[in-house]
Amino acid sequence: MNSNTPMDNNAAEEKLVSAASSEVIINIEKVNKWYDDFHVLKDIDLVVKKGERIVVCGPSGSGKSTLIRCINNLEEHQEGSIVVDGITLNKNLKNIDHIRTEVGMVFQNFNLFPHLSILDNLMLGPIWVRKMPKAEARATALEYLERVKIPEQADKFPGQLSGGQQQRVAIARSLCMNPKIMLFDEPTSALDPEMIKEVLDVMIELADTGMTMIVVTHEMNFAKTIADRVIFMDEGDIVEENEPLQFFNNPQHDRTKLFLSQIL
Amino acid sequence: MAFVKKEITPARPAPLSERSVIGWMHKHLFSSFYNSILTIVTMYIIYITTKGLWVWGIADAVWIAESRRECFDISIDGACWAGVIAWMDNIFYGRYPKDELWRVNVGILLLIVWMLPLWLPRVKGKIFIAITLISFYPFLANYIFLGGESSFFSQFMVSAAIVSFVVIMLNAIIGVIQGQSISTFIATRLGSSLKSEKSQRNLNIALLIMAFIIAFLWQQSWVLGEVPWTKWGGLFLTLVISGIGIATALPSGIILALGRRSKLPVIKVLSTTFIEVFRSVPLITVLFMATTMFPLFLPEGFVLNKLAQVIIAVCLFNAAYMAETVRGGLQTIPKGQYEGAHTIGLGYWGTMGLIVMPQALKNMIPNIVGNFISILKGTTLVSIIGLFDILGMLSSVSRDLSWIGLHKEPLLFGAMIFFILCALMSKYSRHLEAKLSTNRKT
Repeated sequence: MNSNTPMDNNAAEEKLVSAASSEVIINIEKVNKWYDDFHVLKDIDLVVKKGERIVVCGPSGSGKSTLIRCINNLEEHQEGSIVVDGITLNKNLKNIDHIRTEVGMVFQNFNLFPHLSILDNLMLGPIWVRKMPKAEARATALEYLERVKIPEQADKFPGQLSGGQQQRVAIARSLCMNPKIMLFDEPTSALDPEMIKEVLDVMIELADTGMTMIVVTHEMNFAKTIADRVIFMDEGDIVEENEPLQFFNNPQHDRTKLFLSQIL
Repeated sequence: MAFVKKEITPARPAPLSERSVIGWMHKHLFSSFYNSILTIVTMYIIYITTKGLWVWGIADAVWIAESRRECFDISIDGACWAGVIAWMDNIFYGRYPKDELWRVNVGILLLIVWMLPLWLPRVKGKIFIAITLISFYPFLANYIFLGGESSFFSQFMVSAAIVSFVVIMLNAIIGVIQGQSISTFIATRLGSSLKSEKSQRNLNIALLIMAFIIAFLWQQSWVLGEVPWTKWGGLFLTLVISGIGIATALPSGIILALGRRSKLPVIKVLSTTFIEVFRSVPLITVLFMATTMFPLFLPEGFVLNKLAQVIIAVCLFNAAYMAETVRGGLQTIPKGQYEGAHTIGLGYWGTMGLIVMPQALKNMIPNIVGNFISILKGTTLVSIIGLFDILGMLSSVSRDLSWIGLHKEPLLFGAMIFFILCALMSKYSRHLEAKLSTNRKT
């Protein structure tokens, strides 16, 4: 596994050129969230620029998944404001639906639709949400399957694919909606070691196209390769935030140092 | 102690005990001394039971006789099937006039033919078939069965039913032969396929209106004598009540189940109350209440006949049961499926209709069909409140002067009918399960 190998200094040289522009695409201000009495997110502030690639890491229960799930309203936040692509997330269902069409998300457990073929999984959103003609949706779906390198699986069902293939289908499914932002919630945590690389490769290629990405992951080498910024969260707080080289070589906060010493 | 495998171990066929009849018998019936004895004893018990049944029901049975007395004269120990045969029409159709029986047969045949294209894989437009079946067929069937004077609305719906039936049949024939739908077929024949979709739609609408006018004029010439519902009975009545119950149970159950899981408090409380009230009362009580209490709630002068009251009661009762079955199915769907659907932008109805319901219903096929079977069997309770359904008719045989006291044979015959109907449903449910589950190997 990548995360077990010692940190190497080549990372900086391999690093992709940042595509970040000055345009703000996600603006999170003073967001607070509670599960019943448990304070999961505490005064979170985060600004993401268009084309920026952010890796969020931290121990389990630190609120990192909750944070990115708030961005497309899979979780509701109670205080503060989240503005995505100029649209404020509030109770207005229209806004939520609109934001969800602009924000793709990839889950740890893939969440493919088991009763539909791979192709139908990919075509569902474009046809029903984007109202795209069937033939066009099909062409788009095949194009993205090509991009995640599994065009031959188009007519199979999710249950017949390996974990890595399913996750790549899940990425392609999100991309078919032509999103402006992609969220990844521990995309490789449920995969066998042999399959992690194939998924990460697809993600690196995606980063190469200039997609805005927020990735919750423990793959630290991946973070070094693609991230413009690494965010470390603990107990609902953003504890430390830095560019990857600085973050890994010269962590400031004690909690970050402890975390890095345990996973690297 | 290094070990490296040189070549792959080849696969061998399974041992003989897994493949041959004798091997199977050896393994499953005669695997040890005591098992062999058990097998032989069980077979003997099966033999004497079936022999007794055979002698009574077939070998010594009387098939042709005028009365029960005559049956006894011919064979004292055998079954008297002659009574059942003499009552056959009544068991199937109740007291429906003999000359009009063809109407019942035609009505049921129409239903079967209407549904047939649903099972033909090459036929297109299955949703159209299902929608017209639910919205128009009941009116057509109602007119055929009931007859008499019909209102303009009823005539309108009957005409619509005729048009849809004809369109479905043509569509099915073209589908089987050409593998395309009727509208594309017409379009390509007229050479207008190159023109816009809109002109093709206009053409279809024009054709439909023309067909509708012809059908409307044609059905006005129909003369069907009125057969009041009091004459309906037997298996026919059972099928009418349970058929409507089955057809409405699933859609209303789905709506109630969604209502019970709704986040809107009013809808949630209403659905939950409805479900719990109807589930905690026996069907027979609901039936009694329907026939005695419905009239109290209805506006003055509005009289609903007893059959309609019973049908409404059966529908409401079974909707409540189906709602809980569907809710059970909804609970088998993991949260991730909702989230997956939300992230590609599907709203509530899209998520439910495209992602959650198809999976939930598929998981619930055995329970749903189980519900259907219990609706069919539960319908026999209407004989208690004075409708002569199949059970009412079967028990009437023993009160007929010529066949007085003949209980066993009609009831056994009824049991066989129910067994056949229920076995068919359950067989079909297993077929459906197998067919749908090949899609998924998880």
